[in-house]
Amino acid sequence: MTEEIAAKIEAPSRPQADSRAIAVAIAGWLIPGLGHLLLRMWGRALACFFSVGALVFVGAGMRGNLFSWEGADPFSRLGFVADAGAGVFYWVAKSIEGGVSDVSHSYGDYGTRFLATAGVLNLLAALHAYEAARGRKA
Amino acid sequence: MMSAGLRPSHFQVLVLFALAVSVALGFLSRREPRERLKYIARSLFWFLLIGVGIGWVMYPFSR
Repeated sequence: MTEEIAAKIEAPSRPQADSRAIAVAIAGWLIPGLGHLLLRMWGRALACFFSVGALVFVGAGMRGNLFSWEGADPFSRLGFVADAGAGVFYWVAKSIEGGVSDVSHSYGDYGTRFLATAGVLNLLAALHAYEAARGRKA
Repeated sequence: MMSAGLRPSHFQVLVLFALAVSVALGFLSRREPRERLKYIARSLFWFLLIGVGIGWVMYPFSR
């Protein structure tokens, strides 16, 4: 009986747990790996950070195209959603490229795919961190 | 910042992409280190095999 009462006191309420999970997901999106870091999942945090970082660095280094929200067509906006999935690395990629992409060569095209993959991978990691924070997956 | 940009070979690009994605998915989808390693190795192998395979299939149409 005493243990049950203690468990009820210690366990966070549902809305509290939900808001924590959302905060973890946002943190994971903003800085790749931070969501898992907050959950003390060190290996996953490092893997996400370095995988997304490597894809962004190489993708931007190959002068891949970074989409902006003011794209002319829905595909450009979809591209922006994928690119922005990398969180702060979106701006890191912008600073590496210096605002000049070059997709006239295959490298630039590869770079565009690298940047989009980095974003989508980070969104997946943030979703995983959200699920883990809710106790659904680990 | 980078005027010329990186110029890795096509195979280097394939390996790097496959490695980064395999590591991330391996760590996210598996808990045990041994299971992760197996997943990463298997995923990397299939990425490379399918990538090179598609390259060979498309070769006759490349010129």
